[in-house]
Amino acid sequence: MNYWQEFVKGIWKKNPILILGIGMCPTLAVTTSVSNALWMTMATTMVLVCSNILVSLVKGFVPGHIRIPIFITIIATFVTVVELTLNAFQPAVYKALGIFIPLIVVNCIILGRAEEFASKNSIILSVFDGIGMGLGFGVTLFVLAFVREILGANKLFGLTLIPGMQPSSAMIIAPGAFFTLGLMLWGMNYINSRKKD
Amino acid sequence: MEIKVLFTILIGTIFINNFVLYQMLGLCPFLGVSKKLDSALGMGLAVIFVMTLASFITFLVYKYILVPYDITFLRTISFILVIAALVQLVEMVIDKVSPSLYQALGIFLPLITTNCAVLGVAVLNINSGFLDTDLGLLKSVIQGFGGGVGFTLALLLMAGIRERLELAEISDNLRGLPITFITAGLLALAFLGFAGMKI
Amino acid sequence: MNNIVKPAIILALVAFVSSMVLSHIKKITYPSILKQEKEKQERALAIVLPGYTVGEQKNLTLDGTDFTYWPAEKDESGKMIKGYAFIASSPGYSGQVVSMVGVDDRDTILGMSILQQSETPGLGARSIEVASSSTFFGTIFGNNRGAREETRPWFQLQFTGLNAKNKINIVKKGDWNEALKDELASQNAVSAITGATITSRATIKGIEKAIGLLHTALERETVEAAGKVTNQGGAR
Repeated sequence: MNYWQEFVKGIWKKNPILILGIGMCPTLAVTTSVSNALWMTMATTMVLVCSNILVSLVKGFVPGHIRIPIFITIIATFVTVVELTLNAFQPAVYKALGIFIPLIVVNCIILGRAEEFASKNSIILSVFDGIGMGLGFGVTLFVLAFVREILGANKLFGLTLIPGMQPSSAMIIAPGAFFTLGLMLWGMNYINSRKKD
Repeated sequence: MEIKVLFTILIGTIFINNFVLYQMLGLCPFLGVSKKLDSALGMGLAVIFVMTLASFITFLVYKYILVPYDITFLRTISFILVIAALVQLVEMVIDKVSPSLYQALGIFLPLITTNCAVLGVAVLNINSGFLDTDLGLLKSVIQGFGGGVGFTLALLLMAGIRERLELAEISDNLRGLPITFITAGLLALAFLGFAGMKI
Repeated sequence: MNNIVKPAIILALVAFVSSMVLSHIKKITYPSILKQEKEKQERALAIVLPGYTVGEQKNLTLDGTDFTYWPAEKDESGKMIKGYAFIASSPGYSGQVVSMVGVDDRDTILGMSILQQSETPGLGARSIEVASSSTFFGTIFGNNRGAREETRPWFQLQFTGLNAKNKINIVKKGDWNEALKDELASQNAVSAITGATITSRATIKGIEKAIGLLHTALERETVEAAGKVTNQGGAR
């Protein structure tokens, strides 16, 4: 039961983006297409789970005042592993995500979970927490990318939806990202306030 | 000629490729510290300082350590450690030299390590192909400085708007982050106008 | 003292272990990264110089800018025709737009392929978008059989046949299609990507600059070759 709770909390109750409001940069920048969003989710979740495991493993040995640099080193190592792997085996994805792969290091979700959860809990719990948070991150990214790709590129999964229609290119660049996320947060507040009544 | 190139980089990073409103880097502090004008100014100044210095040091580290020893795959890890150490150092120096400045900037400094605009500009400097050109170091430093100024500009604009939004009558569900995002979207639309600028 | 030395040792140890791990991972992934880059270059050469046998890559510095080109040859009914491929680059909207261009000896573009760009997705990045008439619903319901698939991006295809030595113009006609071909060819023009004129212009600027460099490089080569011949003339 406990494991299940740690797993599902990331998706709605403690959704890293919608509720905690962290990890915004990759959320907005890579959601230009659904496939980018899915690859970003995979890369981030991979790093998140691995760093959660390792942080949880070494939590007894790390002196308190230098824990942050050590966590950052651990995270950066996993990010580089992901970076090299993508570069070698998925070059198209590597190019599409660009500088947002190295920037996974400074995604506050990962350092936040290491500091807040993994350094205080057992390995198995940390794994569940990592997967749940990654999933919550992924769901948000997917919805954003879904809306933006349809409106901004007239496409879904890279395939044209309505031939000959000119899409609204503002949706694919920064303004569209901000608007979509703003409306999503509004919708979520609305649902939550209805629940309370 | 070179002056023109440098000027183009500066104006480009401040207005056209604004780090926050176009490239979507550094959004966490953009949302977190834009509630009040004076704290936004403090954060902005600290970021300008760290970004300029970080561009300088990471460029040197990449060109004279990582490239000669063929260990460029350690880029991410070395950059983030350099930035973290730099932020610590800056914090200590400011604390010793000017306690009053430390009081103004101090609380923002630790936040800067995880500001993706700082690591972002370090990586961008390498990706922009400044490495092998003349004045590459100066170009990166200018890109870092311009990025910081652009960040501060966006932050100040946002803080000014949000101070007024506090008093506006808006639906409860829109208050806080949702309306901030929609405002940011409008700001970003306005900044798109700079794209047509010819330098 | 101890509370400085101990953390420092621990940090150094962590950094050491992580670099060890990374260099091992690098060793595993490096061959496929290299192989990929080589394949990418060969593919691009085959696109920009169709039917040509490509020679050795040449790198040189001209007026402070690096320039890379490949001489090539093609046997056309017993006559050897010369061609060249070169790298053109110019700053686009964000970052450099790097392309490879193939020309014959009369500066007619034989093909062009964008190697690297970091333009805005949906706008400038459409320079590498492949036109496809298959749609999402078509793919789902399986009635895409009649759809025509292009293999190369339309923006890059329209450069074929233009003269690189003359000024390449930009017209705003929207997406390229077969019907525009003659009109564009008569104006030595390409149709810009909608909403990304900067990217289109940057691509052309890069080509114009690079074709100048190519001619400088070729002239220098002829001069050097002539010098060699006169030097060796006595020996012969």
